Amino acid sequence: MTTQGAERPVGPVPDPPAHGDPGSAAPDQSPVGPGLAGRRDPGPAGPGLPGLDLDTGHLPPRSRGVIALLEENCTVCMLCARECPDWCIYIESHKQTVPAPDSGRPRVRNVLDRFAIDFSLCMYCGICIEVCPYDALFWSPEFGYPETGIAGLTHERDRLRDWMQTVPPPPAHDLGAPLPREAQAAGPGVGPTGQAG
Amino acid sequence: MTGGELLAEAAHHLPGARCVAEEDMVTIDVPREDWLAALSFARDRVGCDFFDWLTAVDEQDKGLAVVVHLYSIEDRQHLLVRTLVPTDDPVLPTATPLFRGAAWAERETHEMFGVVFDGHPGLAPLLLPEGFEGHPLRKDFPLAARAAQDWPGAREPGERAAPARPRRRLVPPGVPEGWPPP
Amino acid sequence: MVAVDLPLPRRQGETEAAAVPGWVRVFDAGLACCAVEVSAALRRCGAQLPGDAAVNVLVVAGTVTDKLAPLVLAAYQDLPAPRRVLSFGACSNSGGPYWDSYCVTKGADQLIPVDVYVPGCPPRPEALVHGLRLLLSAAGDRP
Repeated sequence: MTTQGAERPVGPVPDPPAHGDPGSAAPDQSPVGPGLAGRRDPGPAGPGLPGLDLDTGHLPPRSRGVIALLEENCTVCMLCARECPDWCIYIESHKQTVPAPDSGRPRVRNVLDRFAIDFSLCMYCGICIEVCPYDALFWSPEFGYPETGIAGLTHERDRLRDWMQTVPPPPAHDLGAPLPREAQAAGPGVGPTGQAG
Repeated sequence: MTGGELLAEAAHHLPGARCVAEEDMVTIDVPREDWLAALSFARDRVGCDFFDWLTAVDEQDKGLAVVVHLYSIEDRQHLLVRTLVPTDDPVLPTATPLFRGAAWAERETHEMFGVVFDGHPGLAPLLLPEGFEGHPLRKDFPLAARAAQDWPGAREPGERAAPARPRRRLVPPGVPEGWPPP
Repeated sequence: MVAVDLPLPRRQGETEAAAVPGWVRVFDAGLACCAVEVSAALRRCGAQLPGDAAVNVLVVAGTVTDKLAPLVLAAYQDLPAPRRVLSFGACSNSGGPYWDSYCVTKGADQLIPVDVYVPGCPPRPEALVHGLRLLLSAAGDRP
């Protein structure tokens, strides 16, 4: 029977080794697989096909893996929850009056009670990140977070904050791309120099 | 033939038709009685040998518009043939004698909009599961999941539950005004 | 749907003691776009003709429409023991972007018991390996 998607190996097909018996496998068909030999080794499927890299170091910039929340920037404007096409962002908050020092007027601010993203629904469109006016949401390239229960795919505030540690620094500005509005407003002389940041 | 020639031919052979020519697309609107005449005009006179798709548009008060996209490979001419059927009597002769590829397209249009194609060899549902009731692509078919689910964006900033007196339009993006219907 | 035996690659620096058992038989129910990523993962892992793998895993990859739901159920019922189910991608986790559709089953777990959910739309091919590793390490002694 032919298998769809599998390269026909050169030479006779060895039987898969019994568990715990790596010595019985042919050298290029070991149960260890390609992961140990290096980041981009060909793997048993043959030369010319990329192997599998289980870590994120090799991924291109702006790769979309998971969404991280920087709570300090969030003002609970609710734009991300409103614009999400899947309705997978759940936000709860309450108002808090902050007394002003001296004789100033007391201010009212929103305090975040709950910020959760349901990654079982999320389609990774990035609308929430684009629409956030305060840069509180970021892309992270991490992709290895499977769960045994679907409730575990709803990430709450603390887990979304932990993802912030995996958010890479912003990539260098592409040559020829339009400048952000802040740089345009700053006038000529501000622009991409070809260096990072 | 050029767009101008096509319009002249259509005026001659399809007196009830209204034709609009754009860059490489000609749209022909015909009354229901001239449906098969328009399709055979497109195939035999204009040389549209490629049947691309057939579908319908729910024009609500005006009825259901059935649209066919045909293409002439040799002349590189696109043709949109359109007709209108009333929603309470959505019957149209089948295009399968002229274009056999219309068979599945008419099955899908039948199950999604309720258009009945007279003379179709087998007008069974194509994509919907057995026992499905209703015609989903009609405008009055509600999207039950969105009607039943609470929209997380319905809260105001700083509110725990949906407010009693909303200050602004609290409808999810993409949902038309006045939906869901009462 | 095809059955292939898959060797699971290890992470860099992982010792043999920490590694999960190496071979798993994958039945790929590739229903939509996620099938492409599963295919890529099977190809890059060096999938082989079925031999003697320890556990049979039904990978549901793609949108489960109401019309196709009975077939997914039949595929699970026909799977020989020991069997597991891995739900790959948002559509088979919960209906995903089509959760509001009139003809989409909101997740494969509406039909069959799912052991591991891999999030993504679509998940990377490497995410399938992460999911299979979690599935094998969490399987324990369940029949």
